[in-house]
Amino acid sequence: MNNAATNAPKAVMTQPTKKRKAALDSKKARAGWFFVLPFVVGMIAIYIPIIFDSIKISFNSLSITAGGGYKLTFVGWENYSDALFSDTEFARILTESIKQLVLDVPAIVIFALFMAIVLNQKMIGRAVFRAIFFVPVIISTGIIDSLDQDNAIYSYMSSGSIDTGGNTSSATEIISAMDVSQLLGNMVVGTELVEYVVSIVNGIFNIVNRSGVQMLVFLAGLQSINPSIYESCKIEGATPWETFWKITFPMISPMILVNAVYTVIDSFTSESNQVMSYINNVYLTASGGRVLSTAMSWIYFMLVILLLGLVALIFSSFVFYQRKD
Amino acid sequence: MNNQTAKKTYTHNADQLKEYKKIGFWTRLRLRVFSVNFLVQVIWKIFRFVLLIGISYIIIYPFFTKISSSFFSATDFVDTTVKLIPKNPTLDTYKYIIIDNDYFERLFNTAWLSVLTALIQTMITAIIGYGLAKFKFKGRGLIFALVVLTMVIPQRTLMASMFMKFRYFDFYGIIGLFNQIFNPQNQEPWIDMINTHWPLLLLSLTGLGFKNGLYIFIFRQFYKGVPDELEEAAYVDGSGIFKTYFRIILPLTIPMMVTIFMFAFSWQWTDTFYSSLFYTAAGPKLLPGLIEVPSTMNTETVAKELYESAIKNTAGLLVILPLFIVFLFAQNALVEGIERSGIVG
Repeated sequence: MNNAATNAPKAVMTQPTKKRKAALDSKKARAGWFFVLPFVVGMIAIYIPIIFDSIKISFNSLSITAGGGYKLTFVGWENYSDALFSDTEFARILTESIKQLVLDVPAIVIFALFMAIVLNQKMIGRAVFRAIFFVPVIISTGIIDSLDQDNAIYSYMSSGSIDTGGNTSSATEIISAMDVSQLLGNMVVGTELVEYVVSIVNGIFNIVNRSGVQMLVFLAGLQSINPSIYESCKIEGATPWETFWKITFPMISPMILVNAVYTVIDSFTSESNQVMSYINNVYLTASGGRVLSTAMSWIYFMLVILLLGLVALIFSSFVFYQRKD
Repeated sequence: MNNQTAKKTYTHNADQLKEYKKIGFWTRLRLRVFSVNFLVQVIWKIFRFVLLIGISYIIIYPFFTKISSSFFSATDFVDTTVKLIPKNPTLDTYKYIIIDNDYFERLFNTAWLSVLTALIQTMITAIIGYGLAKFKFKGRGLIFALVVLTMVIPQRTLMASMFMKFRYFDFYGIIGLFNQIFNPQNQEPWIDMINTHWPLLLLSLTGLGFKNGLYIFIFRQFYKGVPDELEEAAYVDGSGIFKTYFRIILPLTIPMMVTIFMFAFSWQWTDTFYSSLFYTAAGPKLLPGLIEVPSTMNTETVAKELYESAIKNTAGLLVILPLFIVFLFAQNALVEGIERSGIVG
């Protein structure tokens, strides 16, 4: 590259290239619309009407007419008050599942991060382990997920007798709260914490199944950290513990935010979700169930949006963004 | 690596190097093996291995139980001494499911539907993701916000109205208008799409299918990582925007597309939500309908509940078996694609 040679024509060409660039920019803007056109069409033709219909239906009562059509009658907030106050079961399940979600999110994120760090290390059979850890992402959705919801086979295989749903549940638990509370009895930790840890250990199957995508996101994040940073840490004499908290954790923190949000979305849109399956049952019960289920799911949606905002707020306070340029 | 840096620090000082050389080989070995650091590393490696094996076991164990119970005969469920290994192994369960529940017909229908929707979804979401990543235009932020919205709103919320939309399909009353003009006697001025593939195809064609928001997001992140110079060079050489995309950018995307295709394919394959929403019993036979006890099968034993559960699990195994075979072959490409995806941004 000869500087003098390239600079001279540039000075002369400024005017036309600018024009050409502006033309290209507007052409690119139009092309951009072309690329997103399918989505825009779908939004206008299908999705936005569906959302409006859904909100509208939740304020109406619905009856199928003889001609194969349907009729809506405006009833105001009736469906919502029905869902919250008449249906005692719904409010209970709702609060329970929100509580469960709040407990599950940190467990899943921490587990996924830990497993991603382990799977990122060099070892024998790493490819095999990664493949196995990826199986739930592919398999544990839809059919298999709904099959596993109450599967008599698991408890039979592990306990030897048919689980009648009574007091036999302790047979399938990996550890029981009793043992741990005895173990931690002398330590100053609340019983809530003990119960939380026990519930996580016993729900490990659930957590492993739900943290596949998060693990992959963390893996991708870990691999994007420049290895020379670690090298310089080692030379400076930092311990692995220090390296994790001073380097890995800040560098991976945007991924923690992404994964926390993804976990919330994933667990409240999944089929195995308690509230979702309850809403599904309501949907299937009667013709009146359709509007009631819609009202219920909007209530749930608003709650989860609130929760998402909260999660984003909490996590974004310690997210560290590396300047790319 | 560790060793090398240690030696390097020694070589800074000639005296230290001499000292280091003076120590005999065995002493050096002993120093290394019995150092705290080494012990910690060994313990960590053992712990890691045990942990990975344990969790792999948790993931795989359900499949073991399902596979073994699928070979149980009715008497094995009554006999409490029978655990993982059946005493009277039988293939009856498989036989009944395959013949009575029309396994192959369902398999063919679902395979065709899954390949079709997955191909369309992969292509469409890649295009949308490219548009969002590489072009600046008014309303881009809004469209991206809408993409995120489709990710956040659960399918269940829209279940009732989505059914209504495709049961009485109309494009802002235009189809109804045409009907009124040309065929005023028609009592049903709409298109009934239930029990056809059209609802799923339309959703796929517009990037609104199952988890398509996620795919668009992943593709957008991927394309953001592709250097702009690539396209600029093509533009300078006189290649149009679309030609550049399909000739130059799209081939680069193939590993990512394989991953997304696998997601879309397997999620459509095991989908129960859309197939119960858009298809009734009168519609095409799809795989979710396989999960039921065959009508000609006699399950009246003491352990009836268990036996029927085992039958359903066997049907579930038959559903994922083809998927598993595909996964085995595509596994490498799948994980690599995600790793190279740059979801990180």
